[in-house]
Amino acid sequence: MFDTGVRQFRMAMGMVWGRRLDPANVGRLIDDALATIAEFGEPGADAQEAMGGSLTDPEEQLEWANRGLSRTARRLAGKSPFYARRFAAAQVDLRKFDLNGLRAIPVTTKGDLIEQPGDFRCTDVPGYLATRTTGTTGRPAELWLSRYEMELWPALGALSSVLREELRPGDIMQVNVSSRATAAMHVSAASCRLTGAGCRPLGIVPPEEAVDGLAQDGATLLLTCPSYLAEIVTTARRRGMGPDDFGLRRVTVGGEVLSPSLAQAARQLLGVPLIEDSYSITEAIPVTARSCRQGHLHHDVNLGLTELLDLETGEPAAPGALGTLVITPFFPYRDCMPVFRYDTRDVARCLPEEAPGCELAGIPATSHILGKADHLLHLGGTGVVTPRQLVQAIEALPADPWPARYRATARDGRIQLILPAGAISGLGEAEACHRVAAALGGPDVDLTIVGDDQATLLRQTRSDLHETTFATPRALVGA
Amino acid sequence: MPKTTEPISLFQQTATEFGVILVSVILVTLGTLYYFRRVRMERPPIGTFNGRDIVILLAFIVALPFLYGYLPLWLITCLLILTFTSSLYLGYKPVLGTARTWVGIGLLIGLNVWTSHHLMGTTAGWQLWWAELSVLVGLGAISVANLYVQGGMKLQYVAWLALALAVYDIIFATVLPLTDELVAGYLAHPLDPLMGMRFGIDNYGIGLGDLLVYSLFFVASYKAYGAKAARIAFGLILLFGALVTAFIPFVFNFLDQELDLLIPSQALFGPAAFLCYLWMKRRWGRERTMAEYLASADAQVRDTAPATLAPAPEPEPASA
Repeated sequence: MFDTGVRQFRMAMGMVWGRRLDPANVGRLIDDALATIAEFGEPGADAQEAMGGSLTDPEEQLEWANRGLSRTARRLAGKSPFYARRFAAAQVDLRKFDLNGLRAIPVTTKGDLIEQPGDFRCTDVPGYLATRTTGTTGRPAELWLSRYEMELWPALGALSSVLREELRPGDIMQVNVSSRATAAMHVSAASCRLTGAGCRPLGIVPPEEAVDGLAQDGATLLLTCPSYLAEIVTTARRRGMGPDDFGLRRVTVGGEVLSPSLAQAARQLLGVPLIEDSYSITEAIPVTARSCRQGHLHHDVNLGLTELLDLETGEPAAPGALGTLVITPFFPYRDCMPVFRYDTRDVARCLPEEAPGCELAGIPATSHILGKADHLLHLGGTGVVTPRQLVQAIEALPADPWPARYRATARDGRIQLILPAGAISGLGEAEACHRVAAALGGPDVDLTIVGDDQATLLRQTRSDLHETTFATPRALVGA
Repeated sequence: MPKTTEPISLFQQTATEFGVILVSVILVTLGTLYYFRRVRMERPPIGTFNGRDIVILLAFIVALPFLYGYLPLWLITCLLILTFTSSLYLGYKPVLGTARTWVGIGLLIGLNVWTSHHLMGTTAGWQLWWAELSVLVGLGAISVANLYVQGGMKLQYVAWLALALAVYDIIFATVLPLTDELVAGYLAHPLDPLMGMRFGIDNYGIGLGDLLVYSLFFVASYKAYGAKAARIAFGLILLFGALVTAFIPFVFNFLDQELDLLIPSQALFGPAAFLCYLWMKRRWGRERTMAEYLASADAQVRDTAPATLAPAPEPEPASA
């Protein structure tokens, strides 16, 4: 107990002073947390807050953000060639840098990362592991991560998960994300190691193998993306499986839109009370966001700053307006190839000014991610249809066409929608068109139907990053 | 052998000492169990009592006699005030609330300091001082024992602590006879860590450390294996901690150079407690955790933590 206090003090001081944390110290705190839970059944009161949980007081959040920004900017100006140029061009006084001066620094785009990756590497930290983005927005960006980062992130993540009782010794976590997402794979495996849990990093293998892993090999946790979850649900349904066939207690997804219809089907089939829909992006790790029960997305304030900038003006989005998430991870949580004001192009809606009133009310929130900014359909005037609306509308069709395959464009205020035949199975074209239009809020929809063999060409998903094995021939899933 | 100059016989002294120890041990151990069953102390967000804490505790205990020897009296008193204040605050805040706990601590410590300086001229004054000190020390022992056991201290650790204290007691009573000097030298000073009473010209007492070990062993046995183990532990405490400890001077007819009867009671109790623990472990297996204890029928806890209300539901929209 005494040494636990010393370790907590060391960690707290590291966070307050903005010095590199000792991952081994955090690892020992995980052991302490596990011993506490083994003895008492649960952590003590306010364990999350004591271990650097999210700040909930707005003034503290502001103070924390100012200190984090100033610290991070000063370091990048000295160590990152890209940001040294950028800060010099902006002519800001980094000794007094805070939220007020933030807008003087242009946002960083994925294009910047792809075109001049070497300039983002800090000169004082050697790279240890390269990871790649695995989204569907074109050419992947590659990021180098330091050994410190790859030790710290799993330790912080595991500590938080243990205190929330999301990860326990004896758990088996099955990870079905692309194996090229090496950071996510590494963090998952290391978090399990630190907790005494097992990890099965499978990748995007044929879904039959994933279902076997979940059913026969006793996975208790599943980490995947919604499109692959859809493949798992479809495969398990085809096999006539139900909740009794699985031992899962948590399913976490991220990286894509999760529709209510798919979430409900997955809950019922896999026998879990909730599909947790979290948010993270490779370029801005370790800053994440998590969903509350009211469907808001609450953004981490401890490890970084998340802004919501208006898509048109680049100014902070007004309540009700759409904006893009711009994320700045703070030093010392990111040190090898950091980004500053990284424009994710992930669109969310700014919530009304009054407090959300949910269980995470003190933590800044936006709506759920509505899709990529470049995929919004502008119907003229203020009318906008988001990818989330389209996915939800299509995946709610009676044929359960998961993951939704579609192509949508806007022309003359109308939506030109292409669907595969399987998506409207059991419905006539007119009825399908009516249902989709109603779900989208009533815009005019022109529907075109193509053969199912063209489905995967219409809209790419993360589950399309197939990793073949010699065991199972791949079957086409998704209408 | 020194010549006895006491107005009462050694047997009378022994019997009186036995009575004082017996009353003290019974009050404190049963008080500790009562508290353990009724009150849940606040515990830190992360952390449970472990083997390293035992080592740290022992290091502190070993250093204590030297600190007493070298530090000025006023500083020792300050350290004792800090120690008692902390232990009483942690233990009785969940029961009395913050304000009443501070008032109680202030009264107990203030009265003790005052009586230490003003009431030592008469037997009645001494008795008042002892009575008040005993309340203070007894409450402190109950609080600290609960702090440790409710903090996750296992019977295994208590047994090892008792065994280590046996070695400590033997060394500091024979090879480095500091304990005797400290007890005699610090007697009548404020917050003397003893529980006892004065009869005639003699003071009879038992040390806070001894009371703490007995309480720990008793309550940790109860937590680990239930009432049956607690009864065995209680019998062991009465036998070795009270009876044997009190009657050893009489049986072996010894007094020290200052006519004091200072018995290294842990030298007797420690090995017995350790063997008892081994026997319990062999008979009943793994100890219960605090969570298992709380889930068992043995736990009749009146939760004294402030109740928290569930958040009110969101109001329905006023208009359709």
